[in-house]
Amino acid sequence: MAAAPTTTPIVSDPAVAPRRAPAASRATWRGNLLRLPFYLLSLTMIAPFYWMLITVFKPVTELNRQPPSFVPEHPTLNNFYDPGYSPTQVNPGHLQGIFQRFQVDFGFGRFMFNSLVITVAITVGSLLIASLAAYVITKHRVPGRRLIFLLIVASMMVPWQTTLVPNYVIMRNLGWLDTYQGYIIPALAKAFVLFFLVQFLHSIPDELIQAARVDGAGEWRIWWRIVLPLLRPALAAMSIFIVLAEWNNFLWPLIIVQSDEMANIPVALARLNSYFAGAQHQGAIMAGGLLASLPSIAFFLAFQRYFTRGIVLSGLKG
Amino acid sequence: MATHTAAPRRRWRRYGTSYLMLLPFLGLFAGFLVWPLVNSLYLSFTKFDGVNAPEFQGLENFRRLLFDDDRFRHALGNTFLYVVASIGIGTLLSLGLALAFNGSSWPHRIMRTIFFLPSVTSSIALMLLWKWVFNPGDFGLANTVAAWFGGRAVEWLATPGLTIPILVLMSVWGGMGYGMVLYVAGLNTIPQEYYEAARIDGAGTWQQFRRVTLPLLRPVTTYVVVTGLIGAFQVFEAVYIVFRGTNNIGGVLDSGLMIVPYLYDQGFTHFKLGYASAIAWVLFLIIFALSMVNLRIGRALKEL
Repeated sequence: MAAAPTTTPIVSDPAVAPRRAPAASRATWRGNLLRLPFYLLSLTMIAPFYWMLITVFKPVTELNRQPPSFVPEHPTLNNFYDPGYSPTQVNPGHLQGIFQRFQVDFGFGRFMFNSLVITVAITVGSLLIASLAAYVITKHRVPGRRLIFLLIVASMMVPWQTTLVPNYVIMRNLGWLDTYQGYIIPALAKAFVLFFLVQFLHSIPDELIQAARVDGAGEWRIWWRIVLPLLRPALAAMSIFIVLAEWNNFLWPLIIVQSDEMANIPVALARLNSYFAGAQHQGAIMAGGLLASLPSIAFFLAFQRYFTRGIVLSGLKG
Repeated sequence: MATHTAAPRRRWRRYGTSYLMLLPFLGLFAGFLVWPLVNSLYLSFTKFDGVNAPEFQGLENFRRLLFDDDRFRHALGNTFLYVVASIGIGTLLSLGLALAFNGSSWPHRIMRTIFFLPSVTSSIALMLLWKWVFNPGDFGLANTVAAWFGGRAVEWLATPGLTIPILVLMSVWGGMGYGMVLYVAGLNTIPQEYYEAARIDGAGTWQQFRRVTLPLLRPVTTYVVVTGLIGAFQVFEAVYIVFRGTNNIGGVLDSGLMIVPYLYDQGFTHFKLGYASAIAWVLFLIIFALSMVNLRIGRALKEL
């Protein structure tokens, strides 16, 4: 069977709006009885998140109480910043909040800034270079394009950890350990993005581009003025994958980051985890976890529509 | 002979811009993926501490890995157990969830969002959260719940027999929502007419599920299972954050040692970079084989 263009979604927004309720939901009470275990299961999904949330707002003295409180009795923001803490003087019931835990400017804010810079740079950069390459592969008849595409698709079968050791050596030899470029440059060429964009571009008629060429537009101009706007839905879907992955990236940063200043949020949290073990520190650690999670959850909720579409497009037909 | 020299030049004039546009992606792709891949294969045949030049020693690393290294064998066994259990249970639950909550009413949508939430939450934050939930103190969430049912406080993370079950639990909890979304999409591609036809033929709900839903979901299942397997083989953060001890990365008695944590341990704690490359290539071969199975099943399904 010939590979069909894969950009038409199977239904307009499959995960959100099915056309009709499937058979099971018709016998309503029986359906709900069968659903009951899954409703109960959802409690086990919520419980840990709830536990995290209440931990964040408990004062230090409430963290190891037995039995634990399920609503903070003395809610506080001290786990973010505790004005009662002093590095020179022991003040019972007061410990460093998350923003006081690292000896870097702006404390935890520095890591959020690092994560933001890295995530934005990788997302924008990887989409730009992949869209350029995808445009050439689908719309130019360059010799060797099939081979190149095949090679890139084949590379999707390689677990990236295989390249961990050599890339670490490369970073060290270039002096890129502990730098932004060490985070960003090796992460730019993403095979799955190129693959997805190529699939998408195949469905865009060549005539659009031919017309622009007849009008005398250069290739760069066509890419910028025609291809990129046409790719917008695909770029949106891909950007969500990239943002979430880079915001949460851990193993590569763990290897190339040495100083506290250059840590991203996950590395900073992992360091907290190694330095502070006791229950009394968990309030601040959970506060850090919350700061790490909220942006990505908010980002997802804002762009949920593109996301489900992206999963479906890349998953089912890839 | 003029054509001989003119052809490349003409080709360059014609395709120069094209190659220039390909260059950023291809350059980075070659520099940070293809070359490192080849290089890691070479390094896997050497003894390399990162300081002195790599010293070629043939298949020695692989011989040691496969025949002499109890920790690696342990890591492989743990990984396989973990992968099979978490993907088996996770896929079944994903399918169940998709069947339960594929409607467009608000309870269904809320349920889907709840189950999908871990997929978009910082994974390190989740792991720190699990560590806190399984705190050995009697004030930990897991021990509090255990106490409600008359249980005694358990040292969850320091009991070797509980390590893999806890890792599987975390993986299933975190991953079933993703599979659910794929299954929901798959379910919505099944034309309603098929069910009507089946009903006319006298098929009950179970029969419809067995004869219509399940066969038509097979490509989705393949995708969910294979990508799940590939992801599970690369597990790292759960072990590193939740179970790592001061001296051993795999937790008490290495009960949670897996392939990638062991790779990290050998490569970046002990700086046996050659040995770590050999581990990386074993991982590569496993995942490559899985991907080939995926391709083959996909092709077989298309020919059906």
